[in-house]
Amino acid sequence: MDHSDAINQLTAHLFRENSGKMVAVLSRTFGLSQIDTVLDVVQDTFETALSKWRFSGVPDNPSGWLMQVAKNKALNTFKRENKSNPFDPTDYLDRFDTPVEQQLDILFSPKEIKDSQLRLLFTCCHPDFSPRNQIIITLNILCGFGVPEIANALLMNDEAVKKALTRSKQSLRKLDHILQAHIITQSAERLHTVQTILYLLFNEGYKTTRSKDAINHDLCYEAIRLAKLLESENYSETDALLSLMFFNLSRFPARLSTNDEWLSLEEQDRSRWNSVFIEEGYHYLNKATRQPELTRFHLEAIIASVHCSAPTFEATNWSTIAYLYSQLEKLEPSPLVTLNRIIAESYLPGTTNSIQALNAIASDALFQHNFLLLAAKGDIYKRQGELENARKAYEEALHLAVSPADKKFLTRKILFCQLHTN
Amino acid sequence: MKEYLMLIRQNQDNSVKMTPEQMQEDIAKHVNWVRELVQNGNFKGGNPLMPMGKQLKGNSKIVTDGPYIESKECVSGYYFLLAPSLEEATEIAKGCPTLSIGGTVELREIILIEKM
Repeated sequence: MDHSDAINQLTAHLFRENSGKMVAVLSRTFGLSQIDTVLDVVQDTFETALSKWRFSGVPDNPSGWLMQVAKNKALNTFKRENKSNPFDPTDYLDRFDTPVEQQLDILFSPKEIKDSQLRLLFTCCHPDFSPRNQIIITLNILCGFGVPEIANALLMNDEAVKKALTRSKQSLRKLDHILQAHIITQSAERLHTVQTILYLLFNEGYKTTRSKDAINHDLCYEAIRLAKLLESENYSETDALLSLMFFNLSRFPARLSTNDEWLSLEEQDRSRWNSVFIEEGYHYLNKATRQPELTRFHLEAIIASVHCSAPTFEATNWSTIAYLYSQLEKLEPSPLVTLNRIIAESYLPGTTNSIQALNAIASDALFQHNFLLLAAKGDIYKRQGELENARKAYEEALHLAVSPADKKFLTRKILFCQLHTN
Repeated sequence: MKEYLMLIRQNQDNSVKMTPEQMQEDIAKHVNWVRELVQNGNFKGGNPLMPMGKQLKGNSKIVTDGPYIESKECVSGYYFLLAPSLEEATEIAKGCPTLSIGGTVELREIILIEKM
């Protein structure tokens, strides 16, 4: 132990990331029916690291260290249970006769670790679970988020998260066949489910805020990390998804004021947008548009690229954006898409019927608990100089807002209206 | 400089498990704390201890698992600290990150035999 040496610092979220990797590999080793054993081995591995690294500092290759310890612990568990073969005999027939040690070596190789994560991702994003539960179980199993972290990220209470996890793990035990299948059977439909869940996961991170740390980057980074697992599948839809995630991520540094308040697109300092992420966005968009396929992710990625390419808010190409939203409406009708189309159109010169258009969709069930329509109404009134009406709309929106940052944002708008109405 | 043994006692109750992220943060805190001790010349050594052990007692040498039958807290590790006085060692020990997760530390001056 030599503490005078430069001490290795752990890269951010190393434990969390390795948690997902270890769970994935060990689930394939033990089977999902043994998910509790798997989670115990992983927890045990971290606790060993905890007690040693506190004193000795972090080893040179912390990921390798964790994987090695997990492998040894798995091997010991097998020996204790007197199981000679981790694999189902119907699977990996060619490897059936190799000793446990070698089988584990195979599963712990980088390629298999990636493959195992992909399999586990498909298992966690199973249509048997509700979308919400798919997100919760994915965050727990593949992203290493604990109960308090999931509760914090998804604005839920700990008990509700615990309940959802217990139930989902129960169902997960029955889905072992997906994990152990010879090849991962991803029908386009199953792939689409996974993509949708990652899209929702990203959106959760995009819209929610932690009580203190403002934007919840972590969920967005996890969504990108997991989406990259799908990349090798060479579907242009995945590229489009990644493109749209990177474009949206690029605006994060500018989305909050120094007081942790949301800044609208108009208020953001565009020089703070992350140009590396914008480049990544274009990279994936180019890949995505090489094939004739056009999905909602394609359209949303192109919309995000139009925003990112505008040097100023005033220079935004609203007619293109409005057109893209109208295409999206045809492809994947949703009240939120219509709302966005109406907002984009409201910036086009000569548009006068935006408020009527909003009123026409206001009765949709979604907008009974989502404040976005009312906030948009407030913005449009504000731009038309009708501050009294704007204030009323913002106040109604405030009643529906949940997250502290959303509430702050609306309160600021209300204050503005009050100050400017003599 | 005097030498002090700092014993760290921690609750072994696993019902409150730390999440991977919390464990990583805890390690980072410890590593930074030890680095500070080294830089200030207050660090002489230290090691973690396995939670399980044996206790031997008396002439009959009865061996029991232990040592924490009555208490869930057990010594999880020790440090050797260097400080001019117990008061200053105490101030140093206040920085131990285990305290912030509900641990207990005990400081004892080591009687250095050769100086007697």
